[in-house]
Amino acid sequence: MTDETQQMIEHITQLIRKPGMTLDQNTPLVSSGLIDSMALVDLLLKLEDLTHLRIPAGKVQPKDLDTVAKMFVTAQRVGKPRK
Amino acid sequence: MQFRNLTDALDAAPASRPFITVWIDEDERETLTFADFRSRARKQAGALRDHGVTFGDRVVIIMPQGIPAMATFVGAMMLGAVPTFLAYPNFKIEPSKYSSGLAGVTANLKAKAVLIDAEFPDDMLDHVSLNKGSTLLRMAGGGEAHTEPDLALPEIQAESLAFIQHSAGTTGLQKGVALTHSAVLRQLSHLQRALRIDGASDRIYSWLPLYHDMGLIACFMLPMVCHVPIVMQSPLDWVMHPETMLQIISEHKCTLAWLPNFAFQFMPRRTPQNRWAQYDLSSLRALINCSEPVRASSMLEFQKAFAIESQVLQSCYAMAENVFAVTQSELNHPPVRVWAEGQAFRSAHRVVPVADGTSGAIAFTSSGRLLPNHELRIVSDSGAVLDDADVGEIQVKTDCMFKGYFNRPDLTAQAIVDGWYHTGDLGFFREGELYVVGRKKDLLIIGGENIYPQDIEEIVASHPAIHDGRVIAMGVYNPDLGTEDIVVVAEVEAAELLADMAKIESEIRSQVVAGMGVAIRTIILKPPKWIVKSTAGKAARSATREKLLQEHPELDVEL
Repeated sequence: MTDETQQMIEHITQLIRKPGMTLDQNTPLVSSGLIDSMALVDLLLKLEDLTHLRIPAGKVQPKDLDTVAKMFVTAQRVGKPRK
Repeated sequence: MQFRNLTDALDAAPASRPFITVWIDEDERETLTFADFRSRARKQAGALRDHGVTFGDRVVIIMPQGIPAMATFVGAMMLGAVPTFLAYPNFKIEPSKYSSGLAGVTANLKAKAVLIDAEFPDDMLDHVSLNKGSTLLRMAGGGEAHTEPDLALPEIQAESLAFIQHSAGTTGLQKGVALTHSAVLRQLSHLQRALRIDGASDRIYSWLPLYHDMGLIACFMLPMVCHVPIVMQSPLDWVMHPETMLQIISEHKCTLAWLPNFAFQFMPRRTPQNRWAQYDLSSLRALINCSEPVRASSMLEFQKAFAIESQVLQSCYAMAENVFAVTQSELNHPPVRVWAEGQAFRSAHRVVPVADGTSGAIAFTSSGRLLPNHELRIVSDSGAVLDDADVGEIQVKTDCMFKGYFNRPDLTAQAIVDGWYHTGDLGFFREGELYVVGRKKDLLIIGGENIYPQDIEEIVASHPAIHDGRVIAMGVYNPDLGTEDIVVVAEVEAAELLADMAKIESEIRSQVVAGMGVAIRTIILKPPKWIVKSTAGKAARSATREKLLQEHPELDVEL
């Protein structure tokens, strides 16, 4: 697991504030209702920070963000280098 | 403004004036003049005609916010077809919402075609269930090099249907608000006068979705008919980077914009304070709070952060059924406020004015004064017309009312009685100013989107541990977000089930997100017989709400 993946998992753990809940990079987040649409925005921003890419939000679908692993794959697929 | 129909208004626009500038990102934007846009729309009309779309056909447009979608919409109108926009799939919308929402809409409209763009995600196509007789067409953008088609366009009469707006964003209960060219043109003429719009000097900024009346009417039809340039970005890009709105208004010196209430506090909270002063919003002459109940605190937060004059902040009360606005606050004056005694308001629904800032008083912000040829009355539950101190249902009678809900004479007859449209909103009308205080219909407005609590309750009640029919979903104002959050209270089948509370709660959350695409803030499970029942044995919504807020005061932070 990369540092960025670990940082994202920690970020999400803080965000959902569910004591005792452990996440890994394959935990479903969207389809399980653990995170809502406002939180997804926050996660996309975090993903932009961690990957140093600009992610056009219009090209991202819920399934692309369902797990931490999928988020990083999506960032590589649609992200544009930042200036 | 003397046009026979909306496309004639586009034809009359100054050819070389910029019409739509789409802001894509910091180094990419696209601008079309009115002549460019007209040409794109004609190409789209040609493509639709080649696919057999003709006068009177309904077409559903599901394309990303931008010029191709807008050109397709106007192209359809040029043929006399009746277009409607629906939301494009995005990371915030659950796929399942598409399957039921779209099926209902296309079936009700008996749509000839559902138009999608070339990049529409393949896996989402499974969720585009079509009515028999509808076809799915992938549209090109209209920006291709080939020349404009030779079109023999039909005569479009003022009383022909122009387009359909969908008033609710949620499943099953979609109502297609059918509007004629003449109704839309009359509304735009009133708005032009009320806002003193001048195409030569004004410029509109928008991130508003085109499937919503604020985006479609104020930020697409109004600029098209009044020949005003518009600078727009996609709602998703705005949500991701709200600060770009400030950047665009500063750079393009925009003069007008409409925003839902929550945006007035979302903007300052999502923009680092050390950058507030970087933006020059002095070009704005009206920033209009519309589509959610107007809250003074949200507007004040925006005003303080970005140092704009208080009279720039405006308000408006609008609904798809009236094309758009019913009231608009007076330009160059901040919206009027009234402080009302809290106890009289809550217990007797009466407005007893008190001095500003009185302890225990509630401040209401006006949504403005009636547009010309608009009448309004406040009516009690029993149908009595109330005076200016009483809160009741807002009913309106205007010259730009909708024709009806498409294909639903039953719903139309319920909504318009003796020429008065029953809005389902609650308010009071004092000294010529309308104050909207809530909703009679139990609609929740979450981030500007209308959600019917019944849709959520149905999903929650389908959980085996929950007693069927003993669920209430409600909106509770969240001051941190400036919008409502969803709170659900539900009875379990047997008290022992409360031991499994965490598991049940998490299952319900997943089901609601999957079915509605919205998340519940709080689920409160209660033992059997907790929910207050009406005499008919149904769950009584308002009494249950009061009981819940009494037992859980932490939920109610509104007053």
